[in-house]
Amino acid sequence: MIYKTEIRGPLIQGDKSFSQISREILAPIDAKTPMWWYFAMATSLGMLGFGLYCIYLTLANGIGSWGLNNSVGWGWAIVNFVWWIGIGHAGTAFSIFLLILRQQWRTAINRAAEAMTVVAVMCAGLFPLLHMGRPWLFFYIFPYPNTRGPLWVNFNSPLFWDFVAITAYILISASFWYFGMVPDFATIRDTTKSKIKKAVYGFFAFGWTGSSREWLRYEGLSFVLGGIAAVLVVSVHSIVSTDFAVGVIPGWHTTIFPPYFVIGAIFSGFAMVLTLVTIMRGAYKMNDFITDSHIDAVCRVLIFISLIMGTAYMTEIFMAWYSGSIYEYSIIFESRMFGDYAFQFWAMFVANAVVPQLFWFKAVRKRILIVFLISIIINIGMWFERFNIVITSLSRDYLPANWANYSPSWVEVGIFIGTLGLFTAGVLMFFRYIPMIAISEVKSVAKYNKPQTTHQTGHHE
Amino acid sequence: MNKKYFTGVFHDEESLVKAFGRLREAGIKPEEVYTPYPIHEILDGMGNKTRITHAAFFYGLFAVIGLLSFMYYVSVIDWPLVFGGKPFNAFPSFIVVTIVATILIITLATLFTFSVRAKIFPGKQAEIVHPRATDDKFVMLFSDTIGKEKEEIVVHIIQEHGEVEK
Repeated sequence: MIYKTEIRGPLIQGDKSFSQISREILAPIDAKTPMWWYFAMATSLGMLGFGLYCIYLTLANGIGSWGLNNSVGWGWAIVNFVWWIGIGHAGTAFSIFLLILRQQWRTAINRAAEAMTVVAVMCAGLFPLLHMGRPWLFFYIFPYPNTRGPLWVNFNSPLFWDFVAITAYILISASFWYFGMVPDFATIRDTTKSKIKKAVYGFFAFGWTGSSREWLRYEGLSFVLGGIAAVLVVSVHSIVSTDFAVGVIPGWHTTIFPPYFVIGAIFSGFAMVLTLVTIMRGAYKMNDFITDSHIDAVCRVLIFISLIMGTAYMTEIFMAWYSGSIYEYSIIFESRMFGDYAFQFWAMFVANAVVPQLFWFKAVRKRILIVFLISIIINIGMWFERFNIVITSLSRDYLPANWANYSPSWVEVGIFIGTLGLFTAGVLMFFRYIPMIAISEVKSVAKYNKPQTTHQTGHHE
Repeated sequence: MNKKYFTGVFHDEESLVKAFGRLREAGIKPEEVYTPYPIHEILDGMGNKTRITHAAFFYGLFAVIGLLSFMYYVSVIDWPLVFGGKPFNAFPSFIVVTIVATILIITLATLFTFSVRAKIFPGKQAEIVHPRATDDKFVMLFSDTIGKEKEEIVVHIIQEHGEVEK
């Protein structure tokens, strides 16, 4: 399949030479660090510092420093965990699904999406670890021959599945991201004038020269990783959903959960990608690579996913009524839609299923500021979705005597702020020190800007 | 063995591919081709094959067998425990861990294989043939062992599409 420039517009604006592409993408690495970067970094590190202080309080005083109670045993920690993991799905979804679908426009965005994935999964992993209460014993979850029996782990437990899935996900997404950068590090090594950069990026380039033998195996590697990571994306969030779906709690015990979680994850991830690329356009003037049609394409994908989200919400509501189960009915209608947590439900519904429908209008998709704002609204809406799932079901189970409301303590809020700081700090480091667009991949699609000649229409994808 | 090398430098993919096609028609193959991004005509034409996908398949096969046997050994032989009334060998729920851990093992093993076979590893010094081959030039490398007669043909073809650098 070949990209048809006449139909879909150029992938890269301006008639750029290959060396121009390298220079423009590498400009932020070569330039002096801008003032706003220091300011943003200081803010992020401040937030991270506050988060670390709250983690210290949690470790010193125990989980009692959180707002949890006997009924609501999973509070903000699990809400945030699921939210971050969802955001972390975009990187792989972008690279893999768009690779499988042969979408050439992914090349300008996939690097940023993958970087975001790695940082988001790190933020996510923190929460289950802290939730253990005694995180220094976390290695108990590794199935290794131990001196406690050997007492093995329970392979039937979704919590163990989760551990395996998250570990696999972070290792795989990080290595996928890194190997994608190797040719670009080599480009920095060969184009930079600074001796230090030559040495540092030269080390990270692993001796890459761009020979046909290297490219051949590199393509083989991307094919293998792409193929199996697609399975991983679907399975990781399905596994996260089984943390809930195998529990016999009303509102959790449904078969819709795995697809619902996977779609939700991709939705929040794409929204975060949109946030990130609009910042890349604004702060680093990457407009020629991340063109209006890239933004347009992501917005269109978001409309589609938003419709699926809306359908999933409606399905839950319909099934609660149609199943005739009084517990389901009670949790959906009396607790979620019109109960104590009605605000969170409607915030979720409006932000995820209604607001993104504005993307049907070209006038909205064209205005980057509005696109940016909607992407933020979706991120917030998805956070409310996680809140709805985790909190409302736990706060109203079968026995009215167990009913209890939950609100977080400032320590829990602080840890969340800390992960936001970690995320922004990670993204800022990425902007500053790593080519934020995959240079070699952009070069490989640059030819679609030129008039097509016969040999290119052959067996190129 | 002291070979002398000369290179053909091209400014775009099209002229590289054209020159490459004509060289292959003349029965000549460059020692190596360096490009800023993968070009399938070159990868096919150089005649190298990669078996990395086959390797990945077998890593996956061994991983599945290994993981399922491990879980069987743990749950049935070494320390059987009843979880919620399920049989010791609760096979269907072992599949989840098997899938995810298999993907992890395939990835790590394939990365290692790539690193070994493509000789891309931390601390390696790059043997740079042309400093702009990772930026904007497409470079063919020839050694003078191909003989005077062929060298003339090569130089002639390269000069029609790009430049010769000795």
